[in-house]
Amino acid sequence: MALVAEPSAVPLPARARSGRRIGPGTRYALNQIAGSLATFLFVIVFNFFLFRILPGDPISLYTKGRDVSGARIRELQAQLHQPIWHQFISYMRDPFSQTAESVKYNSPVWDVIGPRVWPTLLLVGTATILATLIGVWLGIRSAWKRGQRFDKVTTTTTLIFYSMPEFWFGMILLIVFSVGAFGIPGFFPVGGLSTPGVDINTPAGWVDVAWHLTLPVTTLTVIYLAEYSLIMRASLIDEMGQDYLKTARAKGLLDRMVRQRHAVPNAMLPTTTLIFMNLGFVVGGAITIEDVFSIPGLGSLTVDAINGPDIPLLQSLFVLFSGAVILANLIANLLYAKLDPRVRT
Amino acid sequence: MRSSTRRTRIMATCAAIALVGGISTVGVVSAAADTPSPSASSTDSVLNVGILQDIDSANPFTGVAASSYEIYQMMYPTLTNYAAKDFSTAPGIATSWTESADHKTWTYQIRPGMKWSDGVPMTAADAAYTFNRVINGKYEQTNFGNYVANITSAEAPSPTTLVLNVSRPTPNMTHLAVYILPEHIWKNVSESQVQSYKNEPAAGQTIVGGGPFLLAQRVVGQYIRMVRNPNYYGKAPALNEVDFRIYSNGDAMGQALKKGEIDFADSLEANVFNSLKNVPGITTVPAIYSGFDELAFNTGAALDTGKPIGTGSPLLKDVKLRQAIGWAIDRQTLVDKVLGGLGTPGSTIIPPLYANQHLDPANPVTYDPAKANALLDAAGYKMGPNNVRVAPNGTPLSFRLNGRTNSPSSMKTVQYIQGYLAAVGIKATVTNISEDALTQKIGEGDYDMFEWGWVVEPDPNYQLSTFTCANRSYLSGGSITANLSDSFYCNSAYDALYDKQGGQTNPDERIATVKTMQQMLYDDAPYILTYYYDDLEAYRSDRFTGFVPQPAPNGALLFQYGTYSYENVTPVSATSASADSSGVSSALIIGLVVAVVIIAGLVFALVRRRPATGVDDDRE
Repeated sequence: MALVAEPSAVPLPARARSGRRIGPGTRYALNQIAGSLATFLFVIVFNFFLFRILPGDPISLYTKGRDVSGARIRELQAQLHQPIWHQFISYMRDPFSQTAESVKYNSPVWDVIGPRVWPTLLLVGTATILATLIGVWLGIRSAWKRGQRFDKVTTTTTLIFYSMPEFWFGMILLIVFSVGAFGIPGFFPVGGLSTPGVDINTPAGWVDVAWHLTLPVTTLTVIYLAEYSLIMRASLIDEMGQDYLKTARAKGLLDRMVRQRHAVPNAMLPTTTLIFMNLGFVVGGAITIEDVFSIPGLGSLTVDAINGPDIPLLQSLFVLFSGAVILANLIANLLYAKLDPRVRT
Repeated sequence: MRSSTRRTRIMATCAAIALVGGISTVGVVSAAADTPSPSASSTDSVLNVGILQDIDSANPFTGVAASSYEIYQMMYPTLTNYAAKDFSTAPGIATSWTESADHKTWTYQIRPGMKWSDGVPMTAADAAYTFNRVINGKYEQTNFGNYVANITSAEAPSPTTLVLNVSRPTPNMTHLAVYILPEHIWKNVSESQVQSYKNEPAAGQTIVGGGPFLLAQRVVGQYIRMVRNPNYYGKAPALNEVDFRIYSNGDAMGQALKKGEIDFADSLEANVFNSLKNVPGITTVPAIYSGFDELAFNTGAALDTGKPIGTGSPLLKDVKLRQAIGWAIDRQTLVDKVLGGLGTPGSTIIPPLYANQHLDPANPVTYDPAKANALLDAAGYKMGPNNVRVAPNGTPLSFRLNGRTNSPSSMKTVQYIQGYLAAVGIKATVTNISEDALTQKIGEGDYDMFEWGWVVEPDPNYQLSTFTCANRSYLSGGSITANLSDSFYCNSAYDALYDKQGGQTNPDERIATVKTMQQMLYDDAPYILTYYYDDLEAYRSDRFTGFVPQPAPNGALLFQYGTYSYENVTPVSATSASADSSGVSSALIIGLVVAVVIIAGLVFALVRRRPATGVDDDRE
């Protein structure tokens, strides 16, 4: 009684009170944000040095394929051969510089990256979301009916797809459903994101893009499924032995209610982390599937940039990728706190 | 320029190295599956061309990719062209040209009455503007500087007369690969803007050009649409449109051709090419090509100043040793085993495709290990322990040999070469590294032998320059920088001939000099050419006909020095277009059936193992 009454009885100094206003939840959030910012700063610094270890000469890359005179090459080198700390300072001044040029594409790096973002987001984003929805659903069903036919079939099937080489599976789908085999007509296109001449900003264009994306998205979704269904299944099985479920059942709740209201929310925790971690990696693209289905995404751009190396482009891509992962992580952590109050303390 | 580099065709596939390699080994591609070709319709006069490499820029001052140059030559005219038949000089927008007696002035007669695609007259003034822009520009020099190196100024005294003034006799004035740009457009692009100028069309419009086709749309990484130029000065093409579709791997491109999504595929890998061979409606063309691969030696790495550098074995400075190695290598077997027969054994550095410049050596070096052994014995390299020969100074004949991880054929070739060398008592330690890493090693002279290749332009100057003393590595800012020479061959007699051909404006005299130089290189053996490889092309002969090979009769059908095929291709009449469903390869069927059986079996076995121990309630 006294303990409860004390704060109101003795007014705290203003500073302390204002400090008190930041609840543990907010403090947790601020800590997370600060941590993420620090990580991002580290990444930016690390980023600079990482790519300078790679072999290769940017000038020879720049002049590759060009009939450039020796004098001109020397001139270019004089421009670029600055001491490393000079480069570092000018880099740190603006790590997201709009003027940094890709040596391979000869235009500002963000101009090169820009058009590659939406194909990647469409492809990997759609596949990740689909795989999450279907995978979580499968995981819940399998765990709830553990050991039964549905569980065995889904677990085995998703694991088989999970262990298949992506490009092989993609190529099989391409041959069967794009080119046509076994009497199955080749309905889907072999490559690309849209048909030349079709304006993708019209409803007909959207259908065209969806038609182009069907096979690649299917490939990725099917391959990703196991990741979500297995984690979901495992964590739900863990929960299923818990006493509170017995209590819930004892209260006479329907089995479906026990599952949806009590078991699943608790079992979602590890899956949430996984989902957000993976959403962070969406930006990185799916190199092999982009390659099989000729989709100009960020994954293949990264491979291109490494083959050079195109350091400004690599640097920017790396900042983008790590930024996305750090951001997704942050969201996961914040959401985690929301879902599981224990982590806030 | 576009091809005279180490780019060869590796660049096109480098984005997909690991993957394509993987797919090829799985053998998925050899599976052929056909569907009826799309029926003939209004899309008949659209030629869809599959490419493996996007253009890097639609701006001719910026792009370097081979695909970009295909676009440029469709969009923009040049003064003269290379004839389809034999690469001889043919009229472009210039119908005739004369060199002044003092070799200082070239005068070109420009066609009258030409128009740019927007209707503005195309005259000698546009040509003069373009040349002056390159001559006086800085960034503009990057792509075209070497063509105009001797040109001091360009003038257009009348709309049909172009005068180019040169500082010295210049043989390449009859084939200046400088794209003539419309002055009224490009004068608005300032020197500071030109590098990042995209030169891409706004929606519904085309880029103003003067070639047979105009850039109508570019979607990065996906496709490029070229539409017919109604104002083209030459013969009007039958095609309405040429679409280039970009595929990230050769296997998918092969499949797209089978499906009929594209009508033409270039730079195919041998396995894809072979899988297309017997497909109805498709014609495969192993076109002779301007590329060669070689075994190159470190003939004594040094800077352009003559200061020795690197770690190369001094033994390889001995021309007798290099010549003996020439007799030890079975080039025909390399062609058969590495290229699958799609090429010819190599000899001199100007490929036989350029028939009038290529030298067939009078003293051909063939595969003769006995002769190689005899030459090595005579040169004092006696057989030592472990079947490795030893030099007179006691050093064993043991060398490093680099292949390129970027190229499966390179890695195969070095395996064979290792065997051929072992057979004559020379030990080669093979290491495969990336082309970038190899470029650096070569520049620093940190190698003994390597395998690589060049693609040679119709003008021999650039290729010849890769063997001059001046093009050895040089010091820049204290570090050694690679130049064009990768064998560090340095011979003052050769350099003198190089300078001589660079001033010979009489074609026959120049060719004689060029042939002498080829013989010199053949005898001194800084390179041993392994093979000239074919360019593997395939097209839907059930839909299009009239492709023009360059050179006749078995050269490339597209990606030429010129736009001959685009101008002459016609759609096949609708009635004859048909293809029937046939042959999925038995290997694929068996593989799929086995996979399905295994999967079904696994699932079945697991399902059968019930009842399980888990939660049994299902009280929903």
